[in-house]
Amino acid sequence: MKDGWQQYFWMRAGRIGLTLALLVVAGLLLRPLERPLWQAVKAGQPELNLAELEGALGQGILVGVLGGFRAIVADFLWIQTNHYWQQRNRPKTETMIQIVTRLDPRPDFFWFNGARMLAYDIPNWRIRELGGYDVVPQSVQDQIDYEQAMRGIALLEEARSFHPHNPRFVLEIAQIHNFRLKDTETAAEWFFQASQMPGAPHFAARIYAELLRRLDRPMEAYEFLRKHHQSLPKQADPMAEIVLERIRDLEEELRIPLPRRYFPGR
Amino acid sequence: MTSPAIRIKNLTKDFATGIRRTKLRAVDALNLEIGHNEVFGLLGPNGSGKSTTIKIILGLLAPSAGTVEVYGESAVKVAARHSVGFLPEAPYFYRYLSGRELVRFYAKVCGVAPSEREERVQSVIDLVGMAEAAHRRVGTYSKGMLQRIGLAQALVHNPRLVILDEPTAGVDPLGAAAIAEIIRTLKERGKTVLLSSHLLAQIEGMCDRVAILHRGRLIESGTMETLTAEAGLESLVVDRLTDSVRAEVEAVLQRHGKSLRRTEVPRRSLDELFVRSVRERESERLKCGQELSNRGGDK
Amino acid sequence: MNVLAMSGRVTTIARNTFLEAVRQRFFNSILTLALAMLLGAHFFQQFNFGASELKFIADFGFGAIFFFGAILAITAMTQLFFSEMENRTALTLLAKPVYRLEFLLGKFFGAQLLMAVFCLVLSLVLMAVMYVRESALIERFPDSFADGRVVQYWDCLLFGFIQWIKFGILSAIALVIASFSNTNLYTVIVSFFVLVICQLQYIAQDAYGEIVNPLGRFAVWLASLLFPNFQVFNVGERMFVSVVEEPLGAMILLGIVLYGVAYTAFFLLLALLHFRNREI
Repeated sequence: MKDGWQQYFWMRAGRIGLTLALLVVAGLLLRPLERPLWQAVKAGQPELNLAELEGALGQGILVGVLGGFRAIVADFLWIQTNHYWQQRNRPKTETMIQIVTRLDPRPDFFWFNGARMLAYDIPNWRIRELGGYDVVPQSVQDQIDYEQAMRGIALLEEARSFHPHNPRFVLEIAQIHNFRLKDTETAAEWFFQASQMPGAPHFAARIYAELLRRLDRPMEAYEFLRKHHQSLPKQADPMAEIVLERIRDLEEELRIPLPRRYFPGR
Repeated sequence: MTSPAIRIKNLTKDFATGIRRTKLRAVDALNLEIGHNEVFGLLGPNGSGKSTTIKIILGLLAPSAGTVEVYGESAVKVAARHSVGFLPEAPYFYRYLSGRELVRFYAKVCGVAPSEREERVQSVIDLVGMAEAAHRRVGTYSKGMLQRIGLAQALVHNPRLVILDEPTAGVDPLGAAAIAEIIRTLKERGKTVLLSSHLLAQIEGMCDRVAILHRGRLIESGTMETLTAEAGLESLVVDRLTDSVRAEVEAVLQRHGKSLRRTEVPRRSLDELFVRSVRERESERLKCGQELSNRGGDK
Repeated sequence: MNVLAMSGRVTTIARNTFLEAVRQRFFNSILTLALAMLLGAHFFQQFNFGASELKFIADFGFGAIFFFGAILAITAMTQLFFSEMENRTALTLLAKPVYRLEFLLGKFFGAQLLMAVFCLVLSLVLMAVMYVRESALIERFPDSFADGRVVQYWDCLLFGFIQWIKFGILSAIALVIASFSNTNLYTVIVSFFVLVICQLQYIAQDAYGEIVNPLGRFAVWLASLLFPNFQVFNVGERMFVSVVEEPLGAMILLGIVLYGVAYTAFFLLLALLHFRNREI
C-alpha cells in the first residue's frame, strides 16, 4: 500500500518537475522574442506611481489596473469625476482629476478637461461657497481666480512632461493666462511658444500678434506676421489670406509707406 | 503463419485507487487468443475485468504488464485500430448530429475515402436497420436505436474485428434480437466479433467460444458445446409419450446398458416467446395497414 | 504519421467541436452579453465628451473583448474537453485510429474557431458602433475632426486578431490543465488563476533588474520565465484611436503574433505530454 502511494507521489512529482522545467525552457527560448516586444509595448504605457494610487484606488481596482484594464478603469473614474463635478463637490473633483491623470496620462482629454475644471469652474464654486459674487470682495475673488488658474496651469505643465510635442497643452496654458488671469504679456509668451511648435494651429500665431498689438507693440506684431506669412504654404490657403488681412490692418495702423509694405512673392 | 485477431499474453492491469493510492488489480495474468471469423464472448459479472481488457485491446488503457496484439500489431499503436470497430457500453454520441451525420463523422475520422464514404455510410445504416431514422437527431433516439447507430459507426470503416462492450445491456429483447441478428450477419461476412456481457442468456446463442472472467482472472474458456454440454449425456426431443411407450423405451435402453436419466417438457425461453409474439403482432399490423391503404387506393 | 490524413482528422474533429460549441447556451449567452455591453456604449453620449467619446467607446470595446473573451476561451475549452470525457464520446473517438495529439488539436482548433467568431463579431460591432458615433460627432464637432476621421477602422480587426492569438494561448493553457485534471471546476479555477498571473507577469520581468537579493532575484526571474507575458497583447490604444502618438510598427505586430503562436504550440505539446498516458 505504501508502495502504491510512494510510486504515485514520485510519478506526480516527476511530471510536475518536468512540466516546470519545460516551462522554463520555453520561457528562455522565447525571451529574446518577448523582450523587444514588451519594450515596444511598454513604451506606450507610462510608469505608474503605485504607492500614490494604492491608497486612492484600493487593492482590487489596482490589480485590475495592473492586469491591463488601466484605460477602462481611468475612463470609469473619469465618469465618476464628471459626477462629482456635476455635484460641485470640489475636494472630490480635484482628487479624482489627480487620480485619473496619474492613472492614465496618455489621453489629452483628461488633462484638458481637468485643467478647465480647476481653472474655470472651481473658482465659481468657491466664490459661491463664500456667499456669491455680490458678497465676496473683488480682491478675494481675484485671489481665488489666481489660485485656481495656477492649479490648472500646474496640471497642464505636468501633462507636458507626458506630451512634450503637443502644442495644444501650451495653447491651453496661454489661454488660462489670457482669459482667466488677464495677463496678456505672459499669455503672449505662451502663444508664441505654441506657434513655434510643429503641428500648432494657425490661430496661435494670429493671437500672439493680436496680443502684441494690445501690448502696444504693433511693429513687433507686424514683423512677426510677415515672417509667419512667409512660412505658410504657398497655395491659396484661406489661413494665409486671413494673415495677410491682419498684415494690411497693421500696415494701415502703422502707416507703413507703400514701397515698404509686404507683398508676398516679391 | 497468420496472426490471430487478438493475442493477449500475461495481461495484468492495476489501478491505484483512493487517497492512499491502493493498488486494485482489475486484470490478472490473462492469456487469450481469438481467431479469425470467431464470435467470442467475454463473460463475467460486473467488475470482473471485461471492460478493462477491452480498453487495453483498444489502446485506451496501458497494460501494467503483459502484451496485447491485434492482428500481430501491438494494441498500443494507433495503427492497430485500423482493423477494429468498437461499440462502447451504453454509448453516448453527439446529440446534435443526425444518425447519418454521426456515422459520416466517424467515417471521416477513420479515413474512409471520400469516393466511397457515402456508400459505406448508407450500407452500414441499412445493415443496422436505421435507414428510416437516419435523418433524426441522435438526441431523440431510444436506447436500442443508440446501440444500432453505435454499431453502424463501429462498422463504417469495414474493420476485420468488431468489439462490442455489453451490446445488449439495457436493450429490450426485441432490440437484443436485432443485435444478435447483426452479429450473425457480421460472422457471415467474415468478421471476428468480441463481445462482452454479463447477460449470459442473451448472448448464449451468438458465441462460438466464450471466456469467463472473475476478479480479473480467467476461470473458464472454450466452445459453447464443451462448456455447457453435460458430459456423456444426450437428449432426444420426441412427441409426448404414453406411459406404455415410455416403458418400452426404457426397456430398449436397458437392453443396451443405458438408462433414462430424466424426462422434461422442452421450453422456449421467455425472450424467444416475447420476440416471436411481438414480431407476429407487428407483421399483422403491417398487413392490416397495407390492406387499408390498398382499399383507400381502390376508392 | 501521414500529415495529410492527420490534418483531415484534426479538421473533422475541430469542425465537430465547433458545431458542439456554437450550440452551447453558454457561448450564446456570453456573445449576447458582450454585444449588449458594446451596444450599451451609447451610454457615453450623455456625458458630452465630444470627440473623446470615441476613446471611451474603444476602451469599453477592448475591455468587453478581453473580459468576455477570456471567460469564453477558458470555459469553452474546458467544457468541450470534459463533455467528451464525461459523456464518454472520447472513448468512441479514441478507439478509432486517432492519435491523441489529433484529438487535442481537434478540440483546440474547434475552440479557436469559436473564439474567431467571437472576436470577429465583437470587432465588427465595435467598428460599427464607432463609425455611427464618429459620423454623428463629425457633424456636431467638425473642428475636432479637421484632419478627417480619427478612428483607424482596419486596425480594429487587427486588434481582434491579436486578441484571438492571445485567447489561443489561454485555451491551450486550459487544455494543459484539463489534460491532467479530473474536474471541470478545477480546470476553470486554475486557468483563471494562471490568466491573472500571465496578465501580471510583466511586473516580475520589470522587477528583475531592481532586486538586489540574489534569492529574490532568482525567484522573480523564474516567475517571469514560467508564464507568458499577456501584456504584450495589450495594444488596443496603440492601434485603434490615436491616443498615443507613436503607433506600433508592423514588425512588432508580427512579433506579437509569432510569440503567441509559439507559446500556443508549446502549451499544446505540454497538454499532449499529460494526455498521452491519461486513462480514458
